[in-house]
Amino acid sequence: MSNILLKLRNLKVIFPANQGIVRAVEGIDIDIAKGECVALVGESGCGKSVTSLAIMRLLNTPPALIDVKEINLDGEDISKYSETKMQTVRGKQISMIFQDAMTALNPVMTVGKQIDEVYLKHNNISKQEARKQTIEALRLVGIPEPESRAKAFPHQLSGGLRQRVLIAMAFACMPKLIIADEPTTALDVTIQAQVLNVLSQMQRSHNVSLLLITHDLSVVAHTADLVYVMYAGKIVEKARVEDLFKKPHHPYTEGLLGSIPRLSDSKKHFIQIPDSVPHPMFKPSGCYFHPRCKYVTDKCKELMPPLVKIDKDREIRCFYPLNVDKEGKL
Amino acid sequence: MSDNLPIVKIENLSVNFPAKGGLPFAKKKYIQAVTDVSLEIHKGETFGIVGESGCGKSTLANAMIGMVRPSLGKVTFKDKDLFSLKRIEFKEVRRDMQMIFQDPFSSLNPRFSVYQIISEPMYIRGGFTKKEMENRVLELLKLVGLDEKDLYRYPSDFSGGQKQRIGIARAISLNPDLLICDEPVSALDVSVHAQILNLLIDLQEKLNLTYVFISHNLAVVKNVCDRILVMYLGKVMESGSTKTIYKNPLHPYTNALLSAILDLDIKREKTILKGDIPSPIDPPKGCRFWQRCPYAMRGCKDIEAPLIEVEPNHFVACHKISGFTEEQIAQELDRVLVHHV
Amino acid sequence: MSIIKRISNRLIDILLSIWEFIKKLWRHPKGRVGLIMVLFLAFLAVFAPLIAPYDPYDVTQRAAKGLSPSWNHLLGTTITTGQDIFSMLIYGTRVSLLVGLVTGIAIAFLGAILGIIAGYVGGLADNTIMRIVDVMLVIPTLPLTIVITNLFGKSYFIIVLIFVVFGWTGLARVVRSLVLVLKNSNYVKASELAGGSRWHIMTKHILPGVSHLLIMNTALTCAGIMVAEAGLSFLGLGDPTAISWGKMLADAQSGGALLFGHWWWIMAPGIGIFIAVFSFMRIGLVMEEILNPRMKASSGIYKLFKTLNNTYIQEVFAKMDEGNEDLPKGEAL
Repeated sequence: MSNILLKLRNLKVIFPANQGIVRAVEGIDIDIAKGECVALVGESGCGKSVTSLAIMRLLNTPPALIDVKEINLDGEDISKYSETKMQTVRGKQISMIFQDAMTALNPVMTVGKQIDEVYLKHNNISKQEARKQTIEALRLVGIPEPESRAKAFPHQLSGGLRQRVLIAMAFACMPKLIIADEPTTALDVTIQAQVLNVLSQMQRSHNVSLLLITHDLSVVAHTADLVYVMYAGKIVEKARVEDLFKKPHHPYTEGLLGSIPRLSDSKKHFIQIPDSVPHPMFKPSGCYFHPRCKYVTDKCKELMPPLVKIDKDREIRCFYPLNVDKEGKL
Repeated sequence: MSDNLPIVKIENLSVNFPAKGGLPFAKKKYIQAVTDVSLEIHKGETFGIVGESGCGKSTLANAMIGMVRPSLGKVTFKDKDLFSLKRIEFKEVRRDMQMIFQDPFSSLNPRFSVYQIISEPMYIRGGFTKKEMENRVLELLKLVGLDEKDLYRYPSDFSGGQKQRIGIARAISLNPDLLICDEPVSALDVSVHAQILNLLIDLQEKLNLTYVFISHNLAVVKNVCDRILVMYLGKVMESGSTKTIYKNPLHPYTNALLSAILDLDIKREKTILKGDIPSPIDPPKGCRFWQRCPYAMRGCKDIEAPLIEVEPNHFVACHKISGFTEEQIAQELDRVLVHHV
Repeated sequence: MSIIKRISNRLIDILLSIWEFIKKLWRHPKGRVGLIMVLFLAFLAVFAPLIAPYDPYDVTQRAAKGLSPSWNHLLGTTITTGQDIFSMLIYGTRVSLLVGLVTGIAIAFLGAILGIIAGYVGGLADNTIMRIVDVMLVIPTLPLTIVITNLFGKSYFIIVLIFVVFGWTGLARVVRSLVLVLKNSNYVKASELAGGSRWHIMTKHILPGVSHLLIMNTALTCAGIMVAEAGLSFLGLGDPTAISWGKMLADAQSGGALLFGHWWWIMAPGIGIFIAVFSFMRIGLVMEEILNPRMKASSGIYKLFKTLNNTYIQEVFAKMDEGNEDLPKGEAL
């Protein structure tokens, strides 16, 4: 399938600690097609950030222990690349947008210089040429007066502008894949809308694939094409975005969707999922979600359900999936 | 449910902070965190304050509970002018209002056990025996959905949602009348939001509490609040009953907030604002929203829009919505300028 | 509560938190070493008369001058007076530890109290205290010490006094910064809302919050003071009748140890100073590691990884494959 850009196969990540082993990621597969926006959804502690760092090979051993069958980026398996070779991949073929722009940017360098660096590292061009491209990049992400803004330091810019600078940096070398880890969580609501707009536009106009990592399903609804739902280190559901919202198969997905307050709600009470996510060191037996699942059965308490492929782009990890008719089809 | 007695009354409240930095001889700059806000909160209701960062909602809440002294205006709690009370009475009155904070991780002293955290208000007030305090803490733990055996554990053993429950238990330990919830679920996982919100709703009924609910999430506010205040850069843009505002949002900023919700099913006309939230230092003399307003008219930046009741229980501060035309604003501008000269 | 009860409660809290630290130190292997060394030194200091073979203060116990190390005199005797160097070494612990600990603890008290008041109360108190700090930091302590000891006589009391009067400033500054951060914590706000008095907040919330910093700083301060004291004694500003390592060094130098090749006379006090300073610094650095969990993790993790059992790890990974067999198409439903 030559239109699949990223093939991640059987990624496992653990963090040994004195009290036990933190099983952060337990064998997940992700496919990202070219030009597509794929969302990885889950709450804190589910392992989604660790996944993104693992794809970028930014996890250090120690403290992490990684076992992966394949990280195939456009035909090449980068899981075996040396650090030097990875440095040519990062920034040029895959780049990342972090959640907190304030810590992702160097506080003592102007933002212009930081974007220049990206250009200079991956292209053989002069400093002036790089600055020209930087200004163009800033303009593209909608920063007003890019020439003067390029000379600003990160703390002189507002949160929304900083995030856009990160987006400009990520798109600078026109990578094939951009990983955005909670890019708008720390922003105000109206700024969030702007930034997501920019991200979406840039992604589609430059045909770049986007792996969007978030806990916010409403962000997913408006930006993503394909969604992976992650819980306690495992993928529990995969679906195209319309299917996920219309007919979720996994009780966790159903719970998440139900707990989003909507403007159309009229009841006074919210639908809640009881308890909280399991500690990554002490996971329950059987299906990890069973202590919180309202459809739990004895089978769920003992056995881990396999991830079953129902259709192209549709997978579910549950013995008794919801919204499925008798023949087992959608 | 609500008597017509306002439990909190705020009149023309302004809070200004001196802006740090700047040259020693330059004119002093002020951050106008809150400017000329008036409101009334009735017993038993849930009053929502909505806005983004820099809008002044936290400062407003802090002024309400006496944490920050207003530069102008009055805060009245249960018929007492809060800032004119003597220190002892001030502390006494303040015990009837408590607060739940946004960040559960920094709202509990990591060195205190759960028992110590929840019993601290009782300990400070004095007059309780150890047995009484223990019983009360156990009672509170049950109320917020925690277990007896959590009594002597430490905050680091708990998840964010559970920490928030501990904070809630502490806040209600002395049976306050007013509880200010400052973004109580923003820092928590999405699947836990509903739990905490439901808990707050239940507690309000059981204990007859009055809530001030601060949030930037309009969807949550819609389900929880009876009346709301929409703030921008220290001023009230729109206020009134939740039902009327959501049915008919008028102020351009309110519309932008609603558009930004990225709601899953309502196809609302999207208003995406251009520009950034400006700095609250020396804000514009006119409407503070004019720079980002898609309907800004020529006089908007010079003349403030007064808060006008456009329909019962619905107030809006906007020239265009209130029906002023550009000429009328220009006339007003001339009048003001002449007056000042 | 009466003032006496308040203060005694506070002292009890302080003692309890010190006990907590000792327990933590003990658990940490490096800390254990430092703790043992300090206890050893304290033991030497307290029981010096019982341990030292001779009493160096006793003029009648002098032996021949300039003896090399032998079984009778493990480190020989001084060239100038014939005192047993080994005994002097042991008695020297008293001065060093006493000066170091007393100064360190006094600085901790002053620095903590003034730092907390400056940070939490703010306003005029803050300004006054910080201005005093600024002024004191500018005054050069060494020339001042020389002047004062010349005026009032050379004694360790004066030295300790000067150290304390000028030493609290650095700690107060650091404590104040931490207090400014703690002041903004929500739990402090919650306490204020509940009507907590300043005293309550400062003792129950702020003080425990800075206790880690205090102890770490005190350990390092003691180390520094001991070196400084050795230096001052070397310069002759200390009590000329007391036995201190610094003074031993001074005597060794002026008494011709180098000339005659009596390296043991120089090495002995040198090693004494080294061990004392090393043990306190060890404790201080371990406290810093404990304080800053990130630092601890990086050193501990390497060790952990070395001891990991590879087969166990493979098992853990293999277990994750359960339920991940080749995805059947719709049959499992």
